[in-house]
Amino acid sequence: MSDYDVIVVGAGLGGLTTAALAAKSGMKTLVLEQSDIIGGCCSTFEVDGYKFDVGASIVEVIQPLERLFEMLGGKISDYLELIPCDPIYSFITDDGQRFSIPTDIDETTELVKRIAPEDVEGWHRFCDKGLSMIEEMMDAVMLSPMNTFSEAMQLGMKNPQILKFAPTFARTHQGVIRSFYKNPVMLQSAAFQSYFAGAPPELGSGVFGYIALSEHLGIYYPRGGMIGIPNGIAKAGMDYGLEIKVNQKVEKLLMENGTAFGVKLENGSEITAKLVVSNLNAQVTYLKLVGPHNLPGWAVKAIASYSNSMPCPMIYVGLDKKPDLEAHHTIVTSSLESMNDVWNNFYKMGIIPETAMSLVCWPTEADPSLAPEGRHILNFLCNAPAPYAPKGDNWDRLKGWYKDAAIKELETYVLPDARDHIEYIQVSTPLDFERRLLHPEGGIYGLFSDMTTLAMFRPRSRSKAVKNLYLTGSSTHLGGGVPTTVASGIVTAKYILKDFG
Amino acid sequence: MIKNLKKVLPVLVLVGMVAAWFQASESTRRYLKHIGKQVPYLPYRYFI
Ligand SMILES: Cc1cc2nc3c(=O)[nH]c(=O)nc-3n(C[C@H](O)[C@H](O)[C@H](O)COP(=O)(O)OP(=O)(O)OC[C@H]3O[C@@H](n4cnc5c(N)ncnc54)[C@H](O)[C@@H]3O)c2cc1C
Repeated sequence: MSDYDVIVVGAGLGGLTTAALAAKSGMKTLVLEQSDIIGGCCSTFEVDGYKFDVGASIVEVIQPLERLFEMLGGKISDYLELIPCDPIYSFITDDGQRFSIPTDIDETTELVKRIAPEDVEGWHRFCDKGLSMIEEMMDAVMLSPMNTFSEAMQLGMKNPQILKFAPTFARTHQGVIRSFYKNPVMLQSAAFQSYFAGAPPELGSGVFGYIALSEHLGIYYPRGGMIGIPNGIAKAGMDYGLEIKVNQKVEKLLMENGTAFGVKLENGSEITAKLVVSNLNAQVTYLKLVGPHNLPGWAVKAIASYSNSMPCPMIYVGLDKKPDLEAHHTIVTSSLESMNDVWNNFYKMGIIPETAMSLVCWPTEADPSLAPEGRHILNFLCNAPAPYAPKGDNWDRLKGWYKDAAIKELETYVLPDARDHIEYIQVSTPLDFERRLLHPEGGIYGLFSDMTTLAMFRPRSRSKAVKNLYLTGSSTHLGGGVPTTVASGIVTAKYILKDFG
Repeated sequence: MIKNLKKVLPVLVLVGMVAAWFQASESTRRYLKHIGKQVPYLPYRYFI
């Protein structure tokens, strides 16, 4: 007799989603989280009265969350408050232009007429093609199991209208946006989102080329910080008896004859279950928790063939003054070519890019309660990768230098006297990130994502190599991101309910 | 005639690929190289 029906390792969004749905279906479910808070990359921690988001700073494409809470018998607003953020971004371009992109499509058309009249027709085509694609693919592709060719074929047969969009997956991000825009500023405004999926515009899948459009369907910030999302999912699950334990690091999977039957914790204790779900990086799951000796040779070769997603340092700043910004997110952009250049000539070469700041998030604009009265928060990151192992150096040594570079950029773009107004500042390097969440090499989206590592080429939600092992989160399905990892959690739960429900 | 075509076809495809490679931008070449390196792993990735 097992202690639990389901054990979920890791309380990230994927893990919590699967756990809550398993609990809803009547399975006795336990989540084990190694850190002292839930949410993983989508979480919030408090220092000196400031509440900083660990990683994710916004949620766009909220349909998977809506669907999840429906499946849990409620609606989003029963569990968390999502504050709409408009404008979507404020831009500072490489040629010094400053403008904001509003959510409203007609208002955006007016903006395009002003900044890039030659691309108005392209913008209309982008909207026409992109909006119908987003609408038709949302439920069908995001929330459907897609581990095998036959599942993909069934999906296509049930939803023939989506087949016309299949070539988009095989195109590149820059190929897609270049088919609509010529103006360098318009290209910049739709190119940097490829790094939201962890790849440069020349390598990322074309389907992510439409992120810039999906943002017009609304972007949201949860009241109380990004942890509001995992807290909401956890609360809904706990209504059905879900148990969550923090400060519980799982060391190994208990295995017999190629079948998982529980976990062994760092403190030596063992807990058994009918099935185990891992929300960890899939390489960690297979090569550390399961161990190569428990895997067939092909499985070791397969899992070792992936690379980790990019790391990205983050800087958390507490200010005693309101910053001079216009939107929740300010983007300091550069040309599309230089976005590829950062990948090829810096990241891949082990060189830290010259800029420390390109995406500035101002969460206290949406929710002033995140900071003490009259104070503000800025979380910012270089929206491009920085190497995990800088050539000839290491991040612990470089931290002070990086902080200084970040403050200088803050002074250039946001607050000329920033130094006098910083009450708190912390740099989270790739090494810190690895230590906090145990993400190998500080990778922020699990495994690298391109057309050769997505959907049926990403590790399966229902393991074929280990019986009764399921995977969820950014290493599976459609990769990293709040909506995609929630979707992965739903997909994994669908497999579990099919097998055990 | 068809026999001859069958012989010539692989050569034509190869010539076409070489020509396309030389016409491609640096960025496209990097993309093709990247995908080329991944393709051998796809049969393994499919099953994991
Ligand atoms: C810097 C950054 C910025 C981002 N910005 C955005 C954004 O603005 N919008 C967006 O949509 N997405 C964003 N993302 C991506 C998004 O946050 C993630 O893809 C998503 O939250 C990952 O969810 P997950 O299910 O993969 O779990 P993770 O978040 O990876 O969580 C895994 C959990 O497992 C725990 N764990 C690890 N090892 C063990 C162990 N041995 N035992 C027990 N527990 C363990 C970890 O502590 C962690 O809590 C961002 C990510 C980062 C890092």
